[in-house]
Amino acid sequence: MTIDTPFVIEVEHLTVSYGARPALLDVSVNIETDQLVGIIGPNGAGKSTFIKAVLGFVRPDLGTVRINGIDARKAKGLVAYVPQRGAVDWDFPITVREVALMGRYQQIPWYASPRKTDWDAAIGALEMVRMADLADRQIGELSGGQQQRVFMARALAQGSDILLLDEPFAGVDAATERAILEVLERAKKAGKTLVVVHHDLSSAAEYFDKIMLIKQRLYAYGDPRAVLQEDLLSEVYEGRLRIFKEVLEKEAPR
Amino acid sequence: MIELFIAPLTETYFQKALIGGSIVAVVAGVVGCLVVLKRMAFLGDALSHAMIAGVAGGYLVMKMFFGLEAHAPGMLLGSLIAAVSTVALISFVSRISRVKEDTAIGIMYTGIFALGVVAVSIFRHYIHIDLMHFIMGDILGVADTDLWVSAFVAAVVLTILIFFFRHFQLAAFDTVMAASIGLPVVLLDYVLTTCVSLVVVSAVSMVGVILVVGLLITPAATAYLLSDRLDKMMVLAALFGVTSVIGGLYLCVWLDSAGGGAIMLFCTFQFLVVLTVAPKYGLLSRWLRRRNLVPQQLIEDVLTTVLRYGKPAPVEVIRQYLDPVKGLGKVMKRMVQDDLLAASASGFALTDKGEKEANKVLRAHRLWETYLSSIGTPETDLHPTAHKLEHLREGDTVEYLDKKLGSPKQDPHGKAIPPGE
Repeated sequence: MTIDTPFVIEVEHLTVSYGARPALLDVSVNIETDQLVGIIGPNGAGKSTFIKAVLGFVRPDLGTVRINGIDARKAKGLVAYVPQRGAVDWDFPITVREVALMGRYQQIPWYASPRKTDWDAAIGALEMVRMADLADRQIGELSGGQQQRVFMARALAQGSDILLLDEPFAGVDAATERAILEVLERAKKAGKTLVVVHHDLSSAAEYFDKIMLIKQRLYAYGDPRAVLQEDLLSEVYEGRLRIFKEVLEKEAPR
Repeated sequence: MIELFIAPLTETYFQKALIGGSIVAVVAGVVGCLVVLKRMAFLGDALSHAMIAGVAGGYLVMKMFFGLEAHAPGMLLGSLIAAVSTVALISFVSRISRVKEDTAIGIMYTGIFALGVVAVSIFRHYIHIDLMHFIMGDILGVADTDLWVSAFVAAVVLTILIFFFRHFQLAAFDTVMAASIGLPVVLLDYVLTTCVSLVVVSAVSMVGVILVVGLLITPAATAYLLSDRLDKMMVLAALFGVTSVIGGLYLCVWLDSAGGGAIMLFCTFQFLVVLTVAPKYGLLSRWLRRRNLVPQQLIEDVLTTVLRYGKPAPVEVIRQYLDPVKGLGKVMKRMVQDDLLAASASGFALTDKGEKEANKVLRAHRLWETYLSSIGTPETDLHPTAHKLEHLREGDTVEYLDKKLGSPKQDPHGKAIPPGE
C-alpha cells in the first residue's frame, strides 16, 4: 500500500483556516525518515494546527498532507500521537503496563483478548523508555517525567514509524528533560521519525536534527544552524530580538 | 377578582406561611448563589436528607433524658449536628482517599439518611415522627417557633455573608489566590456549609426535604441568568425566592394543593420564563442574535457580484450569480445600512466604501487564482477554489501571495488584478 518515497511526511501548499484567519498558509515541507524534527514558532503560530493536519484531523482548505505517500486523512494509525501531559485522570485505576498496552488496542479485534505478542510489545516499549521496572505501578504514583515517558511508550507500542509529540518538555525539570531526550534519541535509532512541538529556542539547536520554523507560513526548514538565523527569528518573533541575540551568542562557539 | 388575592391574606395560617416562607426564601436565595457558583447543589440535597438522623437523635435524647416530647429546639440542634457531621465526613473521605467528592457525598448522605430511617423505625414507639411530613413539609401549618427559628437563622446567616462578602467571593472564585493572601479558605468552606445546613434545617419543616434543595438553587440559578455581578445576583435570588413563595402560596390556596409543591412549581416556572426571555443569556435573545447574524462571506459575494456586473444590479440579477441563499433581502438591507450599497430605481450600486471593499475581495480572488495556477491546479478548478479562498484575507495573507507571485498585474484569465493600498 505504501508508495516508495524518500519522505515520510510530505506537505504541499497546506492552507488551513478558521473563519477569515488562515492558521496555516501555503506550507510546503518534506520530512525525511529517521529524523528528530522540532517545530518552533510563537504562540498561535499554527503549530497545533500543523500537528492536527498531519494526524488527519482537519480538512485543509487547500493542499495535501501525505504520510508514506498516503493522504493523511486516510492514514489513521500510521502516526502515533503523544498529547500534552495532564489530560487524564491520574487516579484512574490503571497500571503503567496497561497504559502501554492501550497502544495495541487498535490492532486487537473486539472479540479477542490481548495476546502475548501485544503484552510483549507493550513491555518492549516500556523498556525503550526505561520504565519496565515500574510496569505494575499505578500511573498516579509516578513523577511528571515518568508519566510523560509512559505515554511515549504507549505511542511506541502502536508500532507507528512516525511519532508526534506535543510539547513533551513543557514544565519538566532539567534531569527529566535529559531523560525524555534520551528516549527520543533511542526511538530515532530504532528507525522512528519524531516530530516534536517545542517552545524553548535556547535548547532547540542542541536537541533536533531539523527545525521547522512556522508562523502561519513556513519560514524555514532544515539544519538548526541554518534555521536559527537572527533575521529569520526576528521576523517571526517580532520585537523580541535581544533575547535571541543572547541565545545565538551562546550557540556561536560550538 | 381582587377578592381572590385579598381573602387569603386575612387568614392567620396564610400570613404565617407568607412570612416564614419569605424569610427562608431570602436567605436560601442568597446562600444558594454561592452553592450554585461552587457547584455544590448535590451537597444541599445531601444535607437535607442527612437531617433525618439528627431529628430522630434529637427527639430521642430530649425524650430519654428530659422527658420532653417532640422538643423542637432539640430536634433542630440534632439536625444541625447531623448536617455538619455529614459535611465533615464527606470532606474527610474525599481528602484522605482517592474517592472523589461527588461519590463521597453520595455515600455519606445515603448512609446517614439510612441511619435515621432505621432509628425512626426501631424507636417507633417512642418517636412520633411523620416521615411523610419530613419529606413533603407543611408550610400551611407553620408554628410560631418555626417562624422564630427561621428568623434567627436568617439573621445570623445574612450577617455572616454580608460581613464577609468579599472573602466568600474570592474563595469561591479563586481558592488558591484566596489562600495565598492569607484567607482561611478551609474555615470559610466550613462556615459556608454550616450556613447551608442552617438554612436547610430551618426550611425543611416548611417545604420538606426534597423541595428545600430547589429553594436553595433554583432562585439562585434564575438570578445567574440575569446578572454578571455576585452582589446583584444575590439580591435578585432573594427576590425570586420571595416571589416563588408568594406565587406558590396563592397557587396552593386557589388549587387546594400541597404548599411546598406549589412553591417549587412556581419557582421552576419562573426559572423557565427567565431562561427564555433573559436579555443576555436567554434562549430568545440567543436565537435573535443568531438570526440577525449576516455571514461575512455572503456580503463579500454580493459585493463582487455587483462590482463585476459593472452597473446598478437588481436583486434578481444578484441572486442569479450567487449560490442559492435564503434571506438575501435582509442582507442587502443590512449592506445599505452599513453604507456598502446604495439602492436606486435601477438596482443596487456600490458606494465608495463598498467599491473599496469589493476591490479588496476581487484582488484576493485573482491573486489566489494566480497562485493556484502556479501550483498546477487544473484550469477548471481555478475559479471555484479561489472563490472559497478569497475570503481568507486576514493578516498579511494577500500581501504574501502578491510578493510570492512577484506582484502580477493579471490573473490567469487575463483579467486585471486590482492594486493593493
